[in-house]
Amino acid sequence: MPAPQLMVSALELALNKLLHLDPLSGHRLQPLAGKRLRIQVRELPWPLTFAFSDQVDLLLDEDTEVDCSMSLSLSTLKDMQDVSQIGQLIQQQRLSLHGDMHTAQSFSNLLKELDIDWEEQLSCYVGDVLAHQTLQFFRSARIDTRQRLERLRQMLSDGALQEKKLAAHPLALEDFSEQVSQLRGDAARFEARLTQLEQIKAGK
Amino acid sequence: MSEPNSDRPQEISPAGPQQVGEEQTHFGFKTVEKARKASMVADVFHSVAGKYDLMNDLLSMGVHRLWKRFTIDCSGVRPGQRVLDLAGGTGDLAAKFSRLVGPTGQVVLADINEAMLKVGRDKLRDKGILVNMDYVQANAESLPFPDNHFDLITIAFGLRNVTDKEKALASMFRVLKPGGRLLVLEFSKPQIELLSKAYDLYSFHVLPKIGQLVVGDGESYQYLAESIRMHPDQETLKTMMSEAGFEQITYHNMTGGIVALHRGFKF
Repeated sequence: MPAPQLMVSALELALNKLLHLDPLSGHRLQPLAGKRLRIQVRELPWPLTFAFSDQVDLLLDEDTEVDCSMSLSLSTLKDMQDVSQIGQLIQQQRLSLHGDMHTAQSFSNLLKELDIDWEEQLSCYVGDVLAHQTLQFFRSARIDTRQRLERLRQMLSDGALQEKKLAAHPLALEDFSEQVSQLRGDAARFEARLTQLEQIKAGK
Repeated sequence: MSEPNSDRPQEISPAGPQQVGEEQTHFGFKTVEKARKASMVADVFHSVAGKYDLMNDLLSMGVHRLWKRFTIDCSGVRPGQRVLDLAGGTGDLAAKFSRLVGPTGQVVLADINEAMLKVGRDKLRDKGILVNMDYVQANAESLPFPDNHFDLITIAFGLRNVTDKEKALASMFRVLKPGGRLLVLEFSKPQIELLSKAYDLYSFHVLPKIGQLVVGDGESYQYLAESIRMHPDQETLKTMMSEAGFEQITYHNMTGGIVALHRGFKF
């Protein structure tokens, strides 16, 4: 079975499904219509070519001309969300870009500005009330989980610092650092004074 | 055994292509008059046209979409180009080509079978694909297009149904522009013995039964299995393309050689 085609097919399907869920993505696709963008993610064995029309077609094609080609690693992909960082990423040699930069910027904007009303989407299947309650439940669960994790972190921190004395408290650490700095300064002054006295003694 | 001019098809061995008379050709494992093959193939596709996509998905477990996707990946098609999708059937390739060539390009979906062409046209129109798409009922052996007209010609799972393959390849060569490419996606010869046996078992025992169950026509799918066995293998098709004038011919086996994509250029 052509495994790369299977993967790219799934990716194309997911991408177009997401774009379809945002009513404004069609408008944002317009400046990209007829353009092609090739992205070589260093962790992947083959480059992906994005061909834009009223949707996005993904090709595993290395031969045809493209408007813009980019080579980057997966970690850089996240930083690409901020279009203003592109210049800096090129300077840092984390991104190699050839061709029309606007194509890359428009594609970045297309993904960054994707705004899907999940509640609206869910309501098509389960109705408004259940969709609202489900989304509300997930929002509350997310906030609750975040708070619980914060409390757990605080508890572990207190246990390690106060009860078990496994680690120093940040204030104690800061105080200790200040004392070390003070001592280092005193020692330096003492050394300088000692050198000076030795020079005076030698001069006599 | 029937006389050469008899209407009754002559059964032949499934061992592989055999010599047939000047005016005869294969129809699956049968030998028929050349003049009759087109109408017999037409009968098969008239019968299955309505459920062609469903059956393709069912019988290949969806893998035919990946084979076609690989074909598109190898097409090198660009905006503004002119593409001929021969034996285009229900328009799987044509739909994607339409987006890839854009409004300045042109895609011609051609099929000898009116029923298949109608299903393809309805499907593409339902998808909103209108601006750069034309539909032509045409015989691959005598294409009704000017010389040096297309940048790309594809024929997916269609060449084995053509009566005179050499004539069809010559016709494709004629209408292809210098620098253009031909892609032939077709069933071929499995390269692993074990796979070949499993494939035979599936083709001759399972496939016609599914055809009978879903479309109510097991015979058409029996023909499908037989026509695949009678189709030239990878190297033979490569030689045929070369004899038609194509250059830099390569082929790529997929799913162990069950399907092969041949690519050739006209210079």
